[in-house]
Amino acid sequence: MLELNNQYTVMKRRIDAEVLRALFAGNLTQTVDSIPIKIIPREREANRCCIYKERAMVRYRIMALLGVDIGHDDDECKSLRAYAQEALAVPPVTLPTLTTITPGCSGCPDDQYRITESCRGCFARPCAVNCPKDAIVFVNGRAQIVEERCIACGKCVDVCPFNSVIHIQVPCEAACPVGAISKNEQGYVEIDQDLCINCGHCALSCPFGAIAERSSLIHVAQLLQEKEEVIALIAPAIEGQFPGNLSQIIAGLKALGFFDVVEVARGAHVTALHEAQEVQQRIVEGKGFMTTSCCPAYMELVDKHVPSLADRRSSALSPMAYTAQNIIRSRPSAKLVFIGPCIAKKVEALPIPSIYAVITFAELAALFVARDVDVNQQPSTLLVNTHEFEDCRDFASTGGVAAAVLRRLEQPVAVLPINGIDKKGVRLMRAWEKRPPEADLVEVMCCEGGCLSGPGILVHPKLAKRLRQGTNVAKVGAVRGDLKKHA
Amino acid sequence: MGQHNIMVKICVGTACFVQGGADLLLYEDFLDPSLLRICTIEGTSCLHCCKTDDQQLRAPFVEINGVVHANVTPKRLIELLREAQHA
Repeated sequence: MLELNNQYTVMKRRIDAEVLRALFAGNLTQTVDSIPIKIIPREREANRCCIYKERAMVRYRIMALLGVDIGHDDDECKSLRAYAQEALAVPPVTLPTLTTITPGCSGCPDDQYRITESCRGCFARPCAVNCPKDAIVFVNGRAQIVEERCIACGKCVDVCPFNSVIHIQVPCEAACPVGAISKNEQGYVEIDQDLCINCGHCALSCPFGAIAERSSLIHVAQLLQEKEEVIALIAPAIEGQFPGNLSQIIAGLKALGFFDVVEVARGAHVTALHEAQEVQQRIVEGKGFMTTSCCPAYMELVDKHVPSLADRRSSALSPMAYTAQNIIRSRPSAKLVFIGPCIAKKVEALPIPSIYAVITFAELAALFVARDVDVNQQPSTLLVNTHEFEDCRDFASTGGVAAAVLRRLEQPVAVLPINGIDKKGVRLMRAWEKRPPEADLVEVMCCEGGCLSGPGILVHPKLAKRLRQGTNVAKVGAVRGDLKKHA
Repeated sequence: MGQHNIMVKICVGTACFVQGGADLLLYEDFLDPSLLRICTIEGTSCLHCCKTDDQQLRAPFVEINGVVHANVTPKRLIELLREAQHA
């Protein structure tokens, strides 16, 4: 996967902020077609083939931001103005969550092993000796791979003393844990929605930015302008994503116009209680291991790829669902916006009518920038009545969910954390049907490191952790210890 | 000989932070210990450099010994500090 803050992500955030500025200024439809030109001026040294392609890609980014399913509804004759008018007239649409930008796709060469010119045709020939399929032959004193025999095991890569064998990957295909992404007949990326679990790993991996998530940001911004009763549900991972402590982030959200802000860790406490009770029950009844159910990409993974785990999942609702239920009881007319690091959450939120939209931290950042809200300049206050669920803020990192469940149990249980899902992990989970894991509680996180590494994050997980712990960067103001001191 | 104390202020205004400035806060990981020793690094609220329309002057901003630099990446920060060290 790519580094978090690469040229593409930084550009994406800039476009988001620019579009929102126009929306807030009340002239989005009038100016939107000029935004690609404003962002890519003619003096720019192009990083794609030319500035015109760069402008076209900015146009596609704006379409994704407007929620257009580019893979299916790309009309080159249609102006952004027309797209924007249409988008703003209807509520946000979610499925399919990920969409492909064919003109952006480089049509990368197929996954393959190749022997490069640095091969010296050595005498020991470890590549040929270790190849289980005799797929390596020597021509003109140099190794060559016989494609038909190669099974892509990669042994030759490991043993060559000159690093002469390279593995060329298709980044999106390599990142997809479930084989949902492949190239179509024309050689461009296509996502099979029947297989896709919306983990978003492909979008994070494509260095051309050819996979985009369809956004609801513009709709949320519009809602905030209309001064409706909009309530932000903030995922436990939010702490550490912005320069300030949690109370400052909450104050920042209110400055944006959110009527109220509720920590989803509240609902996580209910989830953890439920799971604790359930895992205990299963042990008593001898029913075997149980998995967590809060990761929506994992939930989709089981539904679409590992049906044998369907009954293994905890029946607990997700923290988001419990939190939404709780708010709606006292404020039935409120419109809820979930703000998190996750794309799959958009799919999970679909059947919950009270949740109006799901946006990511990166998208929230665009709101802050467009509205000139400086998080670290917000007042820092003491958050009250958080004691019950405070430990559930750790739902955001691997091990945190299981730890919260354990804390709500009288007797400890055996825990197995699954820290990120890749192709190998899916195979392992399939094998559990015959060989169950030696654990009572399996905590599953689709992203390595947990939600702190989700596709919608803004801050390197390493830094996010430090900011959450309040170590080394006290200067920034994100000090959890500060809050404790007051308490 | 070079400089013994370099004052570094990393802007932690939201605009800088989201445009890659957050990465600069991992300075303890990417700065050489010898360089780290002679630097006094702190966060600063918005330097108001992001409010211009100048295409060349983009976030994130860092102030080094009173001079503001634009487009600062971790790699660029190392270069700038080396320059300041030998100035």
